[in-house]
Amino acid sequence: MISEASGRVNASEYLPAVFPALFPNGRKLVDEGSSADLSPRLRADLLNLDAWGEILTTYGRTIGVAVALIDSEGHILGKCRNAQPVWSLFHDAANDWGAACPFCITKGLPCTAVAEALQTGEVVRVRDQAGLTHVAVPLFLGKQHLGAIIAGQVFDRYPDPLPLRRMAREYGVSAQQLWNVARKQRPVSSAVLQASGDLLCALGHAFLQQRYGAILEANLADTNGQFRLLVEETKDYALFTMDQTGRVTSWNVGAERLLGYVEAEIVGQNFSCIFTAEDIHDRVPDKQLKMASQSGRSEDEGWRVRVDQKQFLADVNITALFEDTGPVRGFAIIIQDVTERRKVAIILEQARQERSRLQEKFLSHVSHELRTPLTAIYFFTTNVLDGLLGDLTPEQHEHLAFALDNVKQLKDMVSDLLDITRVETHKLAVEPQYSSPVRLIAEVLSTCRRNAAMKNISLSSDIASRLPFVWADPARVRQILTNLIDNGIKFTPEGGTVSVASRPVAGDKGFLCLSVSDTGCGISPENREKIFDRLAQVKSTAEASRSGLGLGLFIARELVSRHCGQIWVESELGHGSTFCFTLPVFSLAKLCSHVLNAANLEAGFVVLIAVDVVAVEGTVQEDIVPEIRRVLERCIHAGQDVLLPSMSDAGPVDTFFIVACTNPSNFAVIARRISGELQNFDNASRLKPVISSNTLLVAPGQSMEDQISEITAEIERLVRSHLLGTERLK
Amino acid sequence: MSGKKILIVDDDQHLLLGLTARLKANGYGVVSATDAISAIAVARKEAPDLVILDLGLPAGDGFLVLERMRSLADLLATPVIVLSARDPAGNKQRALDAGVLAFFHKPPDNHEFLMAIRQALGETTALSTFLKT
Repeated sequence: MISEASGRVNASEYLPAVFPALFPNGRKLVDEGSSADLSPRLRADLLNLDAWGEILTTYGRTIGVAVALIDSEGHILGKCRNAQPVWSLFHDAANDWGAACPFCITKGLPCTAVAEALQTGEVVRVRDQAGLTHVAVPLFLGKQHLGAIIAGQVFDRYPDPLPLRRMAREYGVSAQQLWNVARKQRPVSSAVLQASGDLLCALGHAFLQQRYGAILEANLADTNGQFRLLVEETKDYALFTMDQTGRVTSWNVGAERLLGYVEAEIVGQNFSCIFTAEDIHDRVPDKQLKMASQSGRSEDEGWRVRVDQKQFLADVNITALFEDTGPVRGFAIIIQDVTERRKVAIILEQARQERSRLQEKFLSHVSHELRTPLTAIYFFTTNVLDGLLGDLTPEQHEHLAFALDNVKQLKDMVSDLLDITRVETHKLAVEPQYSSPVRLIAEVLSTCRRNAAMKNISLSSDIASRLPFVWADPARVRQILTNLIDNGIKFTPEGGTVSVASRPVAGDKGFLCLSVSDTGCGISPENREKIFDRLAQVKSTAEASRSGLGLGLFIARELVSRHCGQIWVESELGHGSTFCFTLPVFSLAKLCSHVLNAANLEAGFVVLIAVDVVAVEGTVQEDIVPEIRRVLERCIHAGQDVLLPSMSDAGPVDTFFIVACTNPSNFAVIARRISGELQNFDNASRLKPVISSNTLLVAPGQSMEDQISEITAEIERLVRSHLLGTERLK
Repeated sequence: MSGKKILIVDDDQHLLLGLTARLKANGYGVVSATDAISAIAVARKEAPDLVILDLGLPAGDGFLVLERMRSLADLLATPVIVLSARDPAGNKQRALDAGVLAFFHKPPDNHEFLMAIRQALGETTALSTFLKT
């Protein structure tokens, strides 16, 4: 097999010169450097046989050769046009045209002409063993090949009888008949065939380019048509355009339906006619156009007016239309009627609120109603348990003690229910005060100890002896700790450990972190957030089946967040869990920051006033403490003095501290006012106030920050030593 | 045994029975009323040393009883402790403002409850040691 390349044919270079009619303006339709893939559909369209048929047939007849279109895989598309007699004889004789090339009458020897042509981009000429010649002409669009045209099936010299006879035998064709046909078939010289191939290449490319252009144009027209149809037929949206001054230039069916104007009457009018009178007065239409011009678009939801003066709530979207690089050419507007949608949203919101209110009312009612029978059960159980109705056997005592435990559990659940309603209605309040975490932990541990002992779980604490005081609600911190410890006990198998610890919060001295660790089953990563959700209970083992309402951690999270802290869990499945939460550390400096300022410190003095309120008989009732605080608040100057939070529990003596930014001579005035007011408040003379003071000298020549930290450190020292003194009295 | 008399106002018979047993065991005399109107009548007749008052009552509520007591000279100074199932949020402050000594949310802890009763009756002795020093 002989193949010859004719040299590279760069169609795009010379074709416009040869066929100027096909290339208006000499412009190339497909960029030579384009690397965009052609879609299979576009490929099929480009090689469409209906389009190619006539050009191929005409060419074949004119030149006197057979022609066929081949796809890029080498398969013939459609039939071979103007097939030559010798080839036809062989083709008809062969049951199965097993040749690799549709034109080569050679079995088993692959003809690589098409592949070569596609690879090199050049016209490749081939002669087969029967002496028939053909050319493969590659078809390219830009840099992508689409397929090829093959032309030939002709002798390029007088036929040679010997190889023909051999081939005739091979194909089972009569040698005499073959010779007769071959003799009559007109030979085409290789030079002519080569030139024909080049011509075909030029023709093919020109046609391909033209076809590509035609396809693109058809697609564009199609898209335009669809778009016009979309705009014109859209009924749910008003779509219209305006010029740069706001005069309507087009108006679709949707606009007519929504706004009531027909195209003929609105085109040419200013779009301000769809605005309310107030909006027009406030120049809203102009403002919207201005905004769209500046930022490209403007969005708005508001009332618009129909031609019949009815108003509707509109969702409006204005887009500015620009020339290529010029000023605003006009605007496109899309308007949707959202009146109904808004109405539905309002109704849904009302329904949601109503449901939430009913739910809250229900839960609050349940919590309230459960308490009455619970109280009766509690009294009866404790009465019998405490032997008020006679002695009990040890077994009876034990059973009743279990009953009491269950009453307490039930009571906690009822309290949880109430807390839940408070969370939902944003009424879950915390009353932070100066609290000792060490004391709170000790209290909670002592109440949880019994529970732990029953399950043979060791309950321990690893707390630094001097933790900073926290600014937290003691009852709520007890609740959080109890929840976490009870949870730990619940999910830890017998013989395990639950321990409470504290650790500093990395990078934030303003918070203290407390943790409760257990040696239970652990929590998988995907559940670590979920367990804090309402009614979440991740795994219900037989053991944990009676583990409450699943509200404990949810409430704990809410309570912690109301202290501005965070709660999270660290855990590994099978290796226990550690629940951590943070509480704000009490800071005297923060508390006093609004009075310890430059102006107040100018006098050079800060006075710490201690008011010891002594109960003449009994103790200072806890309930009276807030009232005393209110009295004291009245006696101080809000901008200069601070009443510190309660630093100790009420007892026979309760001490109130005031930090006053004043000079010592003014102290007497404050002291007199306090005794007078307390006397008025306590006309039964059950309380006796003892007022004392310490004056702190503000060291000059330091930065404000240093002064404040020095003052607050000194105040803290004085407060502690004063409390130590009254503690002895208790 | 102080022999002091306590009036329990509560419409739940079982609560009355259970709490009465507890108070009697602590040496107190107990009388009871189950609605707002009879509460005042019983209080005037029996002149108790302390009233344990529920807030949710038939024929008016606990606050009405408080108001009536404070307007009657013979009941003006009688100490009152509230024992209620109502949410302390709101109710507690309102009760304290009306002159109640303590507010307990049902069910109360026996120990704390009895401590409050003793304090209200002026029986606590823990302080005497302090006052002597």
